[in-house]
Amino acid sequence: MISYITRRLFLMIPTLIGITFLVFLIVAMSPGGIGAALKGSAGAVESDAGANARAVQEAYLEDRYGLDDPVIVQYGRWLARIFPVQFGTRDQRDPTGEVIRYPKDLKVPVLAGEWYGSEADLELPDRMPDYIFDHTWDEIHAAGEEEQEAMRESRNLAYRAAANEYAGARAAYITARTNIEQTLVEYANAEGLKKAVTKDNKPRPGVLRRTGINTQNEFYEKVQSDGAEAIRALQEARIARERVGAIYRAKPYPEVGLALGPVAIVPPDFGRSFTRGQPVFKLIGEALPRTLLLNLIAIPIIYFIAIPSGMLAATRQGTWIDVGSGALFVALWSIPIVWAGVLALGYLAHKDYLGAFPVSQLHAPEANSFTFLPSVDANGNWSRGYALDTLWHVCLPVACLVYGGFAVLSKQTRAAMLDNFNADYVRTAKAKGVAGRDIVYKHVFRNSLLPLITMFASLFPALLSGSVVIERIFTVQGMGHLIIEAINLRDRELLLANVLMISTVNLIALLIADILYALADPRITYD
Amino acid sequence: MNTATTTHPDAASRKPTAEEPILQVKDLAVSFDNGKGPRIQAVDGVRMSVYPRQTLAVVGESGCGKSVTAMSALRLVPTPPGRYDRGELLYNDGRSVVNVLELSDKQMQRIRGDEIAMIFQEPMTSLNPVYTIGDQILEAILLHQHVKVKEAVEIAVKAMDDVGIPQPRERLKAYPHQFSGGMRQRVMIAMALACQPRLLLADEPTTALDVTIQAQILELLNDLRRTRSMGMMLITHDLGVVAENADVICVMYAGRVVEYANVFELFENPLHPYTRGLFASIPKMHQKRHRLVTISDVVDDEEQFRKLPGAEDGVRPWWPWHDPPKDLRSRDYAAGDYYLQEVKEDHWVGVWRTEAVSEHESRPPDLTYRISDDPTRQKE
Repeated sequence: MISYITRRLFLMIPTLIGITFLVFLIVAMSPGGIGAALKGSAGAVESDAGANARAVQEAYLEDRYGLDDPVIVQYGRWLARIFPVQFGTRDQRDPTGEVIRYPKDLKVPVLAGEWYGSEADLELPDRMPDYIFDHTWDEIHAAGEEEQEAMRESRNLAYRAAANEYAGARAAYITARTNIEQTLVEYANAEGLKKAVTKDNKPRPGVLRRTGINTQNEFYEKVQSDGAEAIRALQEARIARERVGAIYRAKPYPEVGLALGPVAIVPPDFGRSFTRGQPVFKLIGEALPRTLLLNLIAIPIIYFIAIPSGMLAATRQGTWIDVGSGALFVALWSIPIVWAGVLALGYLAHKDYLGAFPVSQLHAPEANSFTFLPSVDANGNWSRGYALDTLWHVCLPVACLVYGGFAVLSKQTRAAMLDNFNADYVRTAKAKGVAGRDIVYKHVFRNSLLPLITMFASLFPALLSGSVVIERIFTVQGMGHLIIEAINLRDRELLLANVLMISTVNLIALLIADILYALADPRITYD
Repeated sequence: MNTATTTHPDAASRKPTAEEPILQVKDLAVSFDNGKGPRIQAVDGVRMSVYPRQTLAVVGESGCGKSVTAMSALRLVPTPPGRYDRGELLYNDGRSVVNVLELSDKQMQRIRGDEIAMIFQEPMTSLNPVYTIGDQILEAILLHQHVKVKEAVEIAVKAMDDVGIPQPRERLKAYPHQFSGGMRQRVMIAMALACQPRLLLADEPTTALDVTIQAQILELLNDLRRTRSMGMMLITHDLGVVAENADVICVMYAGRVVEYANVFELFENPLHPYTRGLFASIPKMHQKRHRLVTISDVVDDEEQFRKLPGAEDGVRPWWPWHDPPKDLRSRDYAAGDYYLQEVKEDHWVGVWRTEAVSEHESRPPDLTYRISDDPTRQKE
């Protein structure tokens, strides 16, 4: 059994890679591609060539998030970051908790050294010796608490200064690079080379290279001057980068994870959301408890009502209990959640009608000042407390989550029980003198567990994925909301983290179901 | 030579004729709901009785009502769709006689498994797959006997040992799927016998088994029957098994008893054409035939129905596919056209209730005969 579980856990790794890659690929192929929301055009064809400022911004963001890299490279980089084992230079973590990496190499502007400038102009600057801080890490660790703080801060300041300088240089270079690209587009248009311009209004170096440069073109001079400017900005940015690199190599911040010789065990880094600028981990950490709160109340209610009523329907087959519960559950199941949710809000929550329930959110705005349990303060004012407040807010969303869920589970239970009621071993048990109740609970139900376990495996992942519709109606910022946002905005980090989490939970639920199968039915073994 | 007294001292000490039957079935009728069609009368006017140490073999083709009769004795016929229309099932628990059909569920549960036990014909599916053999045998013991689990385990081990399961103590922890069909049937028997029932209903206990196992299991049941003075109703359609094991035979057809006599009488002198057809259809050694005699070869012959003792007075064997005789004096209940008559001493045949037997009330089939008590019929 242990070896089986281990094998299954290891098999999850390639499965998860496959799932995340597939999802990533689909999003990358969708209109606008990864990070569509960041780009001003959002995938639409934009003919206004004057939007230079926007192009610069796009170029900056592409550079910052690596969006200009091929999709495979982007995925590989993400995979390397979440992989718990790292090779080579280890990442460092700054005091705010952000992971700092060695600055990425800068891309050379298109056709540099060919149409403008020379190979010699593009040579990389010399590698600088590693920066030497005022204090070594050993000295810092030996120092007192306050001194230590100052020492750490001086390292931080040194790195920040260099990083800011590099950021400025890089921004200037990106502007210059955007300029030369736009000039090349203008050049191509003047030449009448339609194929040399992409839909995004960018030059295609391959096409241009094949036609060769035309010195008679009206933009020839501009290409030369803008190109020289871009190369100059590039070299300046490279020197600034080298300065940051020298400081980085001297380790201004503590390294992440645990070193084991050449490799390091590191906590997975899910990165930052493009659109919200916050770490994905933090975003999920905020949304997940809301979804879990709703589902951890809703799913047990579904199980505790559907399974006993299914059992009851099976034991009283054909009576009004059986027919009535079946009809009621199917009727409930048929009510669209959108409609039921809006009706519940309108009639039960709206203050012009019943007004008995809150309209939105999971807590009152002032909930943080509440005590946990209901209490009466010194002035005799009653306060409902945090727990009761939450319960009160949760009522309507949970009711909407629950009402449609009874039918399937109850019918499944009933069918499984009926299958077993007619089994030969039930007759044997009866012939032994076992009482009717014991036959139902001990013999029939135990044999009816397998379909219920299968249901569990399919219901469990819903715990985390949340319900988009209910979260929209009741304004709950849960997982469903987060996932839809990630998909709509093609937020790479957020999306991949969500997909990874949900598919992991899915695979684990399947594994648990398989283990439960073996526990419920001795005929199933995995050895 | 009377070997019965030497091999079974307890058998000789009792006077069999003075004994009361353990189970007496009187005019039982059971029908089943058939959706939109008319109810199906599975059993109609069945009479029989089982005595201690006796094996009553109930023979007949599939669907003739054998199993329904046996299951009725434990009231295991599911209702609905089943329904007990008429009759009594009198069970003698040694102190008083009760009608099984009138007992409360609680009283019924006390009798089931403890006093009347049943072995079913499907050993592969009759055990609960998710519990161990031990759990299932212990369940019966703990329900009916006031013993501690430890003692119950000893009883279970003994019961499994009795039915010839090797290493019974280790096998208690095994699951049914780890057993072969023959072993499972032994488990079923061990389970049925663990509480020392007074009556065992064996519904085709050996049909699913191969011949060697079949012989072993029947031998085992016979031993237990003699040593525990248990009555047994053996349901089968294997006439070889019947000839080897039965004391009294009850032949059934279409829910009614067509013939009832002790094993020697019935084999030597079958009176109902159906019984004759049944026996004639058995292939015999040293007899080369192009084609076996079928039952319909016999029962389609009108002449066969005129051979019964009393035929000249108008006594006709009952047969559902024939038009009733013209002088039928049907009574006003379901099986009123049918009557089980003692046509000669200790030999009953199902006949039409014609003029000749209209006022006749012969005693119900009731034979205390046992081979083991019969000094003239001892097996060598």
